Amino acid sequence: MRGEHLGELEELVLLTVGSLMQEAYAVAILEEIITNTNRKMDVTAVHSVLRRLEKKGFVTSEMGGATSDRGGRRKRFFTLTKAGRRVLDETMELRLSLYQKMPKLTFSVLS
Amino acid sequence: MTHYPPKWADRFLEWYCDESLVEDLQGDLYELYLKRREKRGGLIANISYFWWVLRSVRLSAIKKNQKLKNSIFAMTRNNFKIALRVLWRDKFNSSLNLFGLIIGITCFLLLGFYVKQEISFDHFHSKKDRIYRSWLKEDYGEGQVFFNSHTPLRFESLFEDNFPEVEKSVQYILSNFLVGRGENRINESVAIISPDFFEVFDFQLIEGDKDKPLPTPNDIIISQEYARKYFGDNDALGKTISLEVGQDIKDFKVSGIFKDIRYESSINFDLAISTDNNRTLFSERAMNAWFNVVAETYVLLKEGASIDNVNDKMQDVVLSQMGDVSYGDEAMQRDQYNIGLQPLTDIHLNPDIPLGNAPVANPQYVFILGTIGLLVLIIACINYTTLSAGQSLRRAKEVGMRKVLGAYKGTLVYQYLSESILLTTIAMLIGATFSYLLIPTFNRLTGTEIFLQFEMWHVGIYALLALIIGTIAGSYPALVLSGFKTINILRGGNQSPGKMTTRKGMVVFQFLITVFLITTTLIMRKQIEYLQNKDLGIKYDAVISTQMRASPSAQRLSERITSGFDNGQLLKSRLEKYPEISDVAMGSHVFGTSGWAHLAYSDDKGVFRWFRLLCVDANYFKTFGIDMLQGRGFEEGNGLDMRQSVVLNKSAVEHFGLKNPLGAKLPGDEFGDHQIIGVTDDFHYSSLHSEVEPLVIVMNPVPIFMGISDANFADSPIPKLVFTYNGSNLSEGTDILKKEWEALFPNESWNFNFIDEQIAAQYESEARMNKLVTIATILSIIIASLGLLGLSMLVVNSKVKEIGIRKVMGASPVSIFRLLARGFSIQLLIAIILSIPITIYMMNKWLDNFAYRTDIGVWIFAISSLASLLIAFLVISYHTMRAAKVNPVNSLRTE
Repeated sequence: MRGEHLGELEELVLLTVGSLMQEAYAVAILEEIITNTNRKMDVTAVHSVLRRLEKKGFVTSEMGGATSDRGGRRKRFFTLTKAGRRVLDETMELRLSLYQKMPKLTFSVLS
Repeated sequence: MTHYPPKWADRFLEWYCDESLVEDLQGDLYELYLKRREKRGGLIANISYFWWVLRSVRLSAIKKNQKLKNSIFAMTRNNFKIALRVLWRDKFNSSLNLFGLIIGITCFLLLGFYVKQEISFDHFHSKKDRIYRSWLKEDYGEGQVFFNSHTPLRFESLFEDNFPEVEKSVQYILSNFLVGRGENRINESVAIISPDFFEVFDFQLIEGDKDKPLPTPNDIIISQEYARKYFGDNDALGKTISLEVGQDIKDFKVSGIFKDIRYESSINFDLAISTDNNRTLFSERAMNAWFNVVAETYVLLKEGASIDNVNDKMQDVVLSQMGDVSYGDEAMQRDQYNIGLQPLTDIHLNPDIPLGNAPVANPQYVFILGTIGLLVLIIACINYTTLSAGQSLRRAKEVGMRKVLGAYKGTLVYQYLSESILLTTIAMLIGATFSYLLIPTFNRLTGTEIFLQFEMWHVGIYALLALIIGTIAGSYPALVLSGFKTINILRGGNQSPGKMTTRKGMVVFQFLITVFLITTTLIMRKQIEYLQNKDLGIKYDAVISTQMRASPSAQRLSERITSGFDNGQLLKSRLEKYPEISDVAMGSHVFGTSGWAHLAYSDDKGVFRWFRLLCVDANYFKTFGIDMLQGRGFEEGNGLDMRQSVVLNKSAVEHFGLKNPLGAKLPGDEFGDHQIIGVTDDFHYSSLHSEVEPLVIVMNPVPIFMGISDANFADSPIPKLVFTYNGSNLSEGTDILKKEWEALFPNESWNFNFIDEQIAAQYESEARMNKLVTIATILSIIIASLGLLGLSMLVVNSKVKEIGIRKVMGASPVSIFRLLARGFSIQLLIAIILSIPITIYMMNKWLDNFAYRTDIGVWIFAISSLASLLIAFLVISYHTMRAAKVNPVNSLRTE
């Protein structure tokens, strides 16, 4: 269904938002992804993905309290919505079922 | 202390970013900025910050509020929409404009590519600002000047040892070697370069050790092209290439392969060996000589070092290093032995410094072509300006309406500019595509060699160009239109479509450039025809020449010349058996090559004298049809002639000041036994750029060599064999040569040249220039005609009623045609008259390049004036004839 599809990066960001619980704002998400996946990423990509996810309704955002660092600017925290949770579950299920269908034989052939 | 990212980047972010997003976005970026600053320092952090700001420009982040909709963006869209409709409405004028602009832009771009390539010669080296080529100018007064950009071999160490400012100095020598063993040896030009050559220049080594491309004297590096030529698809690295060095054939191991050197490089070679070979290639004397010029020496200055410091110290170093070295009998004086340094990037376009290994271009030609490209573009712009200004009448109501509704003048100007910019952008798109596609055709037509790789950043340049051209072309009509008085328009009064004088002036200027180009083309063509058809005093049709080889055992120059003659004699006796071959002769130089042996000495009275020397056999005069003015030429089998007879040309007689040349000797004590037996007329043996120089012709050069102190052999003096081929098919003549050559010299590759082609090649750059100017002229005629066509239509349209009334009153079509054509004729005549002095001035400057030049005839102006008048009348007659024939009822019925 249109709008329900998750891109690879979207999925990654969505998962990170979920795993960071209350602390999910762009920089934290970026660092989490970089440490976990070791891939090179730009904060602007995270911003753009987050905005897309919000538009699709998988996350919601609200501004945090005033900060003393980062020039006194507030952070925007993201939380997973029910729809977001559901689409993650579905994706995982789909992957798992496909993964389990793969005959074990293949690996022994390859190795 | 807290740090802040660059303010302007912040301001940019705040400008485009949606307000609801800006706070946290900025905060995030700022946080990352501080982290990066801690790790990588301020500069990197600032750059990264700007990069993030740029990358954050996404559709989802751009302002979506009301402010944007009213802003300049929305108006621009509206403006372009209107512009498209206006262009579409008047298809005839729009297509004239578009077509003219496309041609103008294409011509401008093609010539621009050429100019850009010429001025960016040698600019691809990253250290180009610190690299200099040295030259040597010896000046002993009284015209005894020896100026060379080839320098003595000892210069490399001279620079490195005596100047702390010099980081490195390298040699670049070009020399010919026979390559290969056994059959089919090829004569190739091989560079001899210092081992650290690649540390100074940015030539790319693809295979081999980048730090030490030439580790030993036995190594050779080759270009990719030559790797394919010699080894096909096999790996060339480690293979062997043999060169004939002195009497031996020596094997070199391929130690590296470099990327083919690009065209726009003054240093260009395909094979290179190390200067560590110099000890075997040059004599001990040459290695240490101060007066023997061999190598181009390049100097790389240290970073921050000043060239002036080096120049200031030069004379002190020269004098201290030369010690008691003297020139002739006198000790070396200050400022006699001058060493200079020329920037690398200056080499290609500076004809004031003598040629090194590479030919240079004439900066005058580059400038002229650039100017012509610009002129053609200007003509196209004027087209747009006059046509749009002429159309403005029809748009007066639109302007009035807009003004009533509250449009500012600035907004209107902006609107009309967007119209012209839209049109030029379309023209640029098509024109740029055309130019890229036309490069091969252009190269073939004109003999230029433009290589151009399309790169993304070029798009930016074209966009900028379109913007500039559009603004220039559109600014006048925009100002005229926006300047209309609202009240006048709405009252229905007549609007003056801009000041007539300005528009007329532009049309005159356009004609002026076109007539100027037509005349220029004709004069250039005349001069080139004059050069090619001028009687040189020799006959050279169907004469084929071939370069003989000296046997490797011959060491001294006179021995090598003799050895070349001996080899030539063998070939000659074989060729003479063919009935279709006649007049076989030999000479140390042939026609069509520059740089015949240049010799100099001081005569018995101490006067400095110089002349050129030609060694010939007895047939040479006959083959080339050279006439004797006095005395006789050389005779076959005359022992005296073969030993000591001398023939002078007329210039030499004058130069040596001989009253009765026959039987006399050259003024000078050191010459061997010799006697002047004849004087030839001044035949032209060098190109007609220069006057005929004194020439001494001998069969045996030894007596002359004994008396001279300086010699310069720019063209190899090893004899060439020439013969006339009388058959119908010249290629059969070369086939005979090939067959006999291979029978005689199986190890050497054969070669041939047609003398007439060589002579024509001397004027190649002029011929090329003429072709380029001709193309530009034709294009400018087309553009100007288009403009005239559109303009005549506008004039006719504005006079429809007048013509109708005149016809009713009984005017004939002819008189109406005359009425309409008169305006244009006056403008055209003014243009023609103005063009004459400009043309005469410019063309005389160009003709000064030639020692022998044609005159600028009156008839050339007559032809170009007539031609332009004729073209103009043809163009305007289309509309005027139609207007003159139209039934007055049709034009007067509607009111």
